[in-house]
Amino acid sequence: MTRRPPRLLVRTLAVIFVTVALLLAAVFVVVTVTVRDQVRQSVTANLESGQRIFGAVERRRQRELQTQAATLAENPTLKAAIDTYAAEMRSGNDTQRSEWLATIANEIDKVAARIDADAVVLADATQHTMAAAGRLADRFPAGRPVAPSGSRGRQGLDGVVQTGGLFFRVVSVPIQLGEVSIGTLYVATNLDQHYAEELAALANARIAILSDGLLVASTLPQATAHQFESAVTRHPSDPTLLLDGESYAFRRLVDVGSTTFYALGSIDESSRTATQTAIGELAMIAAGATALALAASFWVARMLTEPVGQLSESLAQMSVSHDVNLRLPLTGSSRELDALTATFNQLMASVAAAEEQRQAAYMGAIRALATALDARDPYTAGHSDRVSVLSVATARALNLPDDDIEVIRLGALLHDIGKIGVPDAVLLKPGSLTNVEFDIIKQHPTAGARILRSVPFLVPHIPIVELHHERPDGRGYPHGLRGEDIPMAARIVHVADAYDAITSKRAYRGARSSGEALQELWRFAGTQFHAEVVGALATALPGVVSDAIEPAVEQAHA
Amino acid sequence: MMLAFVGLVLTTVALTHAQPETGSITGHVRLATRIRSPLPANVYPSRSIGRHDAPAAPEIRNVVVYLKDVVFRGALPTAKAELYQRNESFVPHVLAITRGSTVEFPNDDPFFHNVFSLSSAAKFNLGRYPRGQTRAWKFTKPGLVKVFCDIHSHMNASILVLDHPYFAIPAVDGTFELPEVPAGEYTVVGWHERVGERTASIRVEAGRPTSIDLTVPVEDAR
Repeated sequence: MTRRPPRLLVRTLAVIFVTVALLLAAVFVVVTVTVRDQVRQSVTANLESGQRIFGAVERRRQRELQTQAATLAENPTLKAAIDTYAAEMRSGNDTQRSEWLATIANEIDKVAARIDADAVVLADATQHTMAAAGRLADRFPAGRPVAPSGSRGRQGLDGVVQTGGLFFRVVSVPIQLGEVSIGTLYVATNLDQHYAEELAALANARIAILSDGLLVASTLPQATAHQFESAVTRHPSDPTLLLDGESYAFRRLVDVGSTTFYALGSIDESSRTATQTAIGELAMIAAGATALALAASFWVARMLTEPVGQLSESLAQMSVSHDVNLRLPLTGSSRELDALTATFNQLMASVAAAEEQRQAAYMGAIRALATALDARDPYTAGHSDRVSVLSVATARALNLPDDDIEVIRLGALLHDIGKIGVPDAVLLKPGSLTNVEFDIIKQHPTAGARILRSVPFLVPHIPIVELHHERPDGRGYPHGLRGEDIPMAARIVHVADAYDAITSKRAYRGARSSGEALQELWRFAGTQFHAEVVGALATALPGVVSDAIEPAVEQAHA
Repeated sequence: MMLAFVGLVLTTVALTHAQPETGSITGHVRLATRIRSPLPANVYPSRSIGRHDAPAAPEIRNVVVYLKDVVFRGALPTAKAELYQRNESFVPHVLAITRGSTVEFPNDDPFFHNVFSLSSAAKFNLGRYPRGQTRAWKFTKPGLVKVFCDIHSHMNASILVLDHPYFAIPAVDGTFELPEVPAGEYTVVGWHERVGERTASIRVEAGRPTSIDLTVPVEDAR
């Protein structure tokens, strides 16, 4: 069993679809790889810019805090109270100690109210806490030394203080009386979750704050933060760390004493969203491209297959109808197909011409045969031609189709071909025939049919030859068919044959006129002849004053 | 300098009348660099506004030498001292007076000043007043009085109010003299506002000067 090849349309679609799919797959792989690479770079760049921005903003913030604190430290009452208190204490005079301390505390409260800090702490000249105010003032008990770790810049101290279990970022300004420092004002911000979140928003990254390698605060998930705590101690110089199964890039934002602020960015997390976005967009493009490719390939395939299909359909029709005169229309879809069609049409034209020649040759041969047959009997000379002409005219009068008329023309010419087998003694006998002789004559339609059967080209004419002596009343020969069982072509030729026989001169009688012949035909209409055919013949007769009949009549009269 | 001179003259006059059996103490005060405090003193530039080119008084003039725990018999001589407000500072920075003395605070600057104190020996606030005006305060209790200006937070001065006239502010070269001190055993004090008292023992004999050197651990700015 052989498999049928796939349709052209399917093949075109498949090829285009596979091409598009391969293209998309390649793009997908490239995009995924590129996106991840770019995300890594962008995360790093983001951290870098975060580091820069953070550094700048943080420096500014600390400076502003310091400026603010310095401005607030320029408080005459505060200074007077501190200095007076210190002088009195040196003199051993502490009777009014609480009064000065209350004044100091009051002034520190005012400072705390004007500055955005978790605690404002006043330390004396020996760095021991004198007073504290603010939300977390209780972490700075009076009398305790304040011991910040950090760097002393031009502007003062920027450091970290650990006290009461909390870490504070502090800036400090000295309280100067003239050229002498009589104390220090600390502005402390708690390094808590809130602080880390603020930093994270500022740096646009995750934040972790470590002091002496220990986690102080972070915006990372807790488990990740603890992994970071141990990982950064072990690999402080790695560009990325694997935390909780995710790859993180990190950077030191700033070091304050032994406290370090880190910014972290998850490469995986960022690349996931970026890849998803890219793939989402790619999917939309892919869907669009596929739809477009499908439509385009469908169109292309149709452009190819439709004219081809049209062409093959026309060919199939042609081969069924054996009509060589059909011409294929130009599809106009492509030059190649039109060339093919034109070539085919030329081929068909030449085939048609050859067929016409062949037909003409056949006709000539058959006409020659019929003429030769008619010539055996001088009385029937030209009989076949005349019957043919009459039959065609009658058929026209009956409005038969052209194809049938052509069959009738040839069939009528050949209708007595069977008489070839009738001996001259019988055929040319001047007297009346015996029953035996008449039986011989009655065999000529069957004999004619037998002759034609061997020529495929003449098969359509067999009924005319075989049945042109059948009668509507069933008393005809050779089969005795009745009425409507007799083909129209045979009926027409029967009537035309009879008319020509009546109007022809015979050895045993003279030629009779057309009018007498019609009278005779009408007399037997319905029994020997079909009435409608007789009517048609009568109608057609005036137009058939043709050369085909007149000479025969004249000859008959001569 | 002028004030010190006035003070000394007054003291000498008083002693001449009351105690004939006296000797004098002469000496020299030396400023030594003290140990630095944990924080640097000058992380900020001075926040005073105005003329900083005005010559600051030498640090030695901020030292007061006096006898400790002396009981003075008789009427304590008083004086009228002046503490100027000049170039956003009190001049002189340190003043020593006897109890009952009055100090005037004239304003020499072309802007307002204020004078107030929170000290237990004298609590006062003389209010704000413009150039050319002055206010006075009489100091009736002995002790250290710190004086401030509530407009200019860096301005401050110390007034040492003493119950006796045996005190002096050393000259620029560090020398001082306490004349007409009754003969006896004394504790001599070199006082500075940032270090408090530095003491030494001395025996004064009538009719002759006794000499002593004092060291006060204060940084000499010069």
